[in-house]
Amino acid sequence: MEYVQPDTLEAAVSRLGRGGCTILSGGTDLAVVNRASGLKPECFVDICRISQFSGMELGEEGLHIGPCTTIAELAASAEIPHCLSQGASAIGSPQIRNAATVGGNICNASPCGDTLSPMVALSASFVLVSPRGSRAVDAETFFLGPKKTVLADDELLTDIIIGREFLKGTSAFKMLGKRKGQVISQVNAAVWLLLEDGVVAKVQAAFGSVAPVPLRARQTEAFLTGKELDAGTIHESLAYVKQDIRPISDIRASEAYRYRLAESIFHDVLKQAAGLACC
Amino acid sequence: MAEHTIIGKSVRKVDGIELVTGKAKFTADMKFPGMLYGYELRAGVPAGIIESIDASEALKEPGVHMVLTAKDLLGPNLIGVLPPFDQPVLPDREIRYAGESIALVVADTREGAKRACRNIKAVITPIEPILTMEQALAEDARKIHPQGNVTFSRTLTKGNVEQGFAEADVVIEGSYTTTFQDHCYIEPEIACAVPSGDNRITLYVSCQSPFHIRGHVAANLNVPASKVKVVQAYTGGSFGGKDDAAVEIGILAGTAALKLGRPVTIAHEREESIAGTNVRHAAEIAYKTGARKDGTITARQVKVLLDGGAYASESPFVTMKAMIHASGPYAIDHIEVESTSVYTNKTYAGAFRGFGVPQVTFASESEIDELAKHLGIDPLELRRKNGLKAGDKTATSQVYDQSVGYLQTLDAVEPSLRETGTKENDGRYLYGTGIASVIQGISNGAEGVDVVGASVQMSQDASVLVGCGLAEMGQGSRTVFSQIAAEVLGIPVDWVTVRQVDTDAVHDSGPTVASRSTTVGGMAVKQAAETVRQSLVKMASLMFKTDESMIVLKEGFAVLTVDDTARIPLRDVATAAYWTGFPLMHLAFSQAEPADFDHDTHQGRVYIAYNFGTHLMHVKVDRYTGEVEVLKHVASHDVGKVVNPMAASGQVEGASLIGFALGHMEKVEYKDGIIQNPTFADYAFPSIRDRIPTETIFVEDPTPHGPYGAKGIGEPPVAAAAAAFANAVSQAVGHRFTHIPITREDIAAVLQEEV
Amino acid sequence: MVIHFTCNGKPVTVDVDGDMRVLDVLRDVLDLTGTKEGCGEGECGACTIILNGKTVNSCLLYAGKLQGAVVETIEGLSGDSAGLHPIQESFLEEGAVQCGFCTPGMVLSTKALLDRHPDPSIKEIETALSGNFCRCTGYGKIMKAVVSSAEKLRDSREDGHQSGTGLGVKRG
Repeated sequence: MEYVQPDTLEAAVSRLGRGGCTILSGGTDLAVVNRASGLKPECFVDICRISQFSGMELGEEGLHIGPCTTIAELAASAEIPHCLSQGASAIGSPQIRNAATVGGNICNASPCGDTLSPMVALSASFVLVSPRGSRAVDAETFFLGPKKTVLADDELLTDIIIGREFLKGTSAFKMLGKRKGQVISQVNAAVWLLLEDGVVAKVQAAFGSVAPVPLRARQTEAFLTGKELDAGTIHESLAYVKQDIRPISDIRASEAYRYRLAESIFHDVLKQAAGLACC
Repeated sequence: MAEHTIIGKSVRKVDGIELVTGKAKFTADMKFPGMLYGYELRAGVPAGIIESIDASEALKEPGVHMVLTAKDLLGPNLIGVLPPFDQPVLPDREIRYAGESIALVVADTREGAKRACRNIKAVITPIEPILTMEQALAEDARKIHPQGNVTFSRTLTKGNVEQGFAEADVVIEGSYTTTFQDHCYIEPEIACAVPSGDNRITLYVSCQSPFHIRGHVAANLNVPASKVKVVQAYTGGSFGGKDDAAVEIGILAGTAALKLGRPVTIAHEREESIAGTNVRHAAEIAYKTGARKDGTITARQVKVLLDGGAYASESPFVTMKAMIHASGPYAIDHIEVESTSVYTNKTYAGAFRGFGVPQVTFASESEIDELAKHLGIDPLELRRKNGLKAGDKTATSQVYDQSVGYLQTLDAVEPSLRETGTKENDGRYLYGTGIASVIQGISNGAEGVDVVGASVQMSQDASVLVGCGLAEMGQGSRTVFSQIAAEVLGIPVDWVTVRQVDTDAVHDSGPTVASRSTTVGGMAVKQAAETVRQSLVKMASLMFKTDESMIVLKEGFAVLTVDDTARIPLRDVATAAYWTGFPLMHLAFSQAEPADFDHDTHQGRVYIAYNFGTHLMHVKVDRYTGEVEVLKHVASHDVGKVVNPMAASGQVEGASLIGFALGHMEKVEYKDGIIQNPTFADYAFPSIRDRIPTETIFVEDPTPHGPYGAKGIGEPPVAAAAAAFANAVSQAVGHRFTHIPITREDIAAVLQEEV
Repeated sequence: MVIHFTCNGKPVTVDVDGDMRVLDVLRDVLDLTGTKEGCGEGECGACTIILNGKTVNSCLLYAGKLQGAVVETIEGLSGDSAGLHPIQESFLEEGAVQCGFCTPGMVLSTKALLDRHPDPSIKEIETALSGNFCRCTGYGKIMKAVVSSAEKLRDSREDGHQSGTGLGVKRG
């Protein structure tokens, strides 16, 4: 088998263009999939040596996050919106977070991936590059279904951009799973909030594990916008959460419980983002 | 009571250094020249008929050496715990559960063998599976085994329940269910078979009953047992689980190794461990309890149904144990328990820490709390009123005149109950406290003869080698045996080595089960050490030219009782004893007092002792999400005598978390007969953040049947912790949960109706 | 591919497929069998190693990732004749070891934590060990062992000594 570690984007894209490649970032999801299938990949293109792929940098458009930034780095970062570092902290175990990357979490497109709902709530933009050129895709339209994205086989996620607008305001993330440590989300939610004099100037919320893709909670957002954020408003907003999500029953939780969790979690994250005493 | 220097002390684990340094050799760590790896092809359907298995394509793959199916096996192709054995190593025709192995591929690597499995063409005609006990017991049900779908059924009768209910002022009834739980030892099952070049075969196995494996492997390789040597490698947990599974892969690896003349290792992956090998029985249990207004329980009538899955395994014994323990640690005159295990097309159930007791204890203790509510009596007082005392008759009418410390365990948790019992509910959170008691028989009891052979050998340098057929699986039996030998011989613990179990070198001691290592095994070690001690004392008396009664052995010396400075190093005594011809090795047998039991009514003497316990749990429940936090957990057990407080509390803490997980988190989930969560990602194994704050309180009411009065503690906390959790949560939520696990989701579902 | 890396302080070169699991590189190629396989999919943590100062699951790590890396395994911790590392001492003293199969991973997760946080909070300890499963102990004694190893390591630093193995403990 071939294992290449290009140190430039150009070299990576050129190798991808020749076909037969599996893109390898942290590998924590890929290794599980490959073990289960028992298949041996022809070629790994390990993209983690491309220097611009690691770390975070503030630019004109906003905050750039390299796709090979590890989940642990994200979890420890104070520069990124809080919901994203909280989402990163919720993933797996320290061992997983030290190896896994944010680009990997995004491209793996698991409906329960804990950076996905923050990315959607923050309207993150993903830059995708292939031998044919480059394009930017909004987080919300990037995901097509479980493990399915708009990425072409030879296309590489090269940059994640959080717009300047979303670096203001406050945000929060919460998830619950079947146990307290090292756990997969039964439901997760991220909310980004801009309050002006106690009134919701703008809010964006997203849920994970309640549909095949992370979902924006548009009806809830619409209800909250322009309202004074007090306990009553928060309570009322929960009725809209139910309308925004479409969970199913599976091995991890029933549909009914997911509705219940979505409300409870949203209640908590909204309070947290608003700086209100929570629970 | 005599002063002990080593018994009762928190001695460090004697085999700990090799474990913390990673040097201990588990089976997977052993490599042999030319070693090959086996991987099992599993059925994938819960019931079916094998029409054909074509391995020709798989055999063409590079690195593949052999594919074994039923027709290639060398012996009767039958394993099990009780005759008539009902479980094939590989089925030749009928498939009875989805995780059942139907072929073994042997290749240069495990990955290669796994890949080759995909190229075996197995033609299987599916049969409509029987997936519930109700289906299995239906009159026109298809028979999973020729003798029918009832694996084992017995009834215990004490007194006359009709009379008992007639005497009652209150009669309550309840139905309870429990689900399958997996052992989840961190080391999956593994066996390595090595042809040893002397017309024998050696198996290195992670297991808990090496002689059981030897017998089955020999029978199925069609060789005398003396041609098979089983070495129990360091074993990464077992909890009852590495018995049948170890036998199965031991036979498969042994067969392949014999045929190929090369070492063969079979190492299960996690999914195989969960879906392919035994689990804890699921149960459906109906209780009827009668009591007088003052709380005196007059009668209990219980029906236990245990889902044993596809094969019998330990089902008969689990059925009996559940039956004997169903009425709890209470003195009740009229008891009737019908206990039945049933075949279904699911992964077979067998031994798992607690062995039928957790299921009935959860149900029984839930019902005791319900009775208390009905009668308006404090749950602890109700238990105290009915609790077994020395001189009372147990469910089997056995009378113990000592070592019945049940009431003391109630006393031990009472202060915590009074402390935590009054916490007010506030807004989002609900609080509750529950207690639950357990009785758990120690030793094999009526399950068979209970003999342990242990050897103690002193070298001329006074170091000691102990050999015993019971397995160290992490529970600390080597440490306990070392302490006992050191105590008897007056030497430091680190002069003692407890050897690995090697069936060539130690005596068959039966299975390492039923919390019997410390009790029955410890007795054998003590007796063997005492015989060696006699030689030392006799030699020292000759050396001191004094009477034997003037000699004590301590701190590695023979010392005069009248002059502590008059000392001879034991190595000098041992050397002299050797040259004088005094024996320095002894093989002793400890035989538990045999059961004396009527197998129709199940009345009589069963176990040499019972461990009694009471747990208290104080919980906080999030009414939005159903999340539970255990704020306090007190576990009190009558262990007779604590040999090693640190090791014993470690047993209580570990077993309690397994019990808590049984009560709250873990279940093997099926859909159409296929396990849906055979990985740690989806099977809710508790992480460190899910631990509970167990405080252990030991009650010491010594038994004459254990060394220094000790009784086993490995299993009982499982049942008590699960039941105490159920009672605490039920109290917090104000709803009687009749099913475990009581998951967050279950709790939220109840609260949803009420918020 | 030829891979050069540092393992337990020594330079190592192996020639293996880039997609070989690091767990297998360690166990089968280098015969370092203290690193265990419990689940093969990054859940149980028995295969934990320290890679460039951070814990990772060696069952999910491809060999190619080792190029130029610094790896510590349990053998590195106990390799010195001076005796046990203070963390290993504490695990024995507190009864945090039963079957011992999870122990190498637990010890390494503890070491990686204490290298960065000499005085961790209970929550930090829980988080650091949340990827290491144990079925035997119920975890209580493991928590105690971590707290006591932290104390030991702090004391040894205050006394101006290096930790027992001479591997030292990085500050900060």
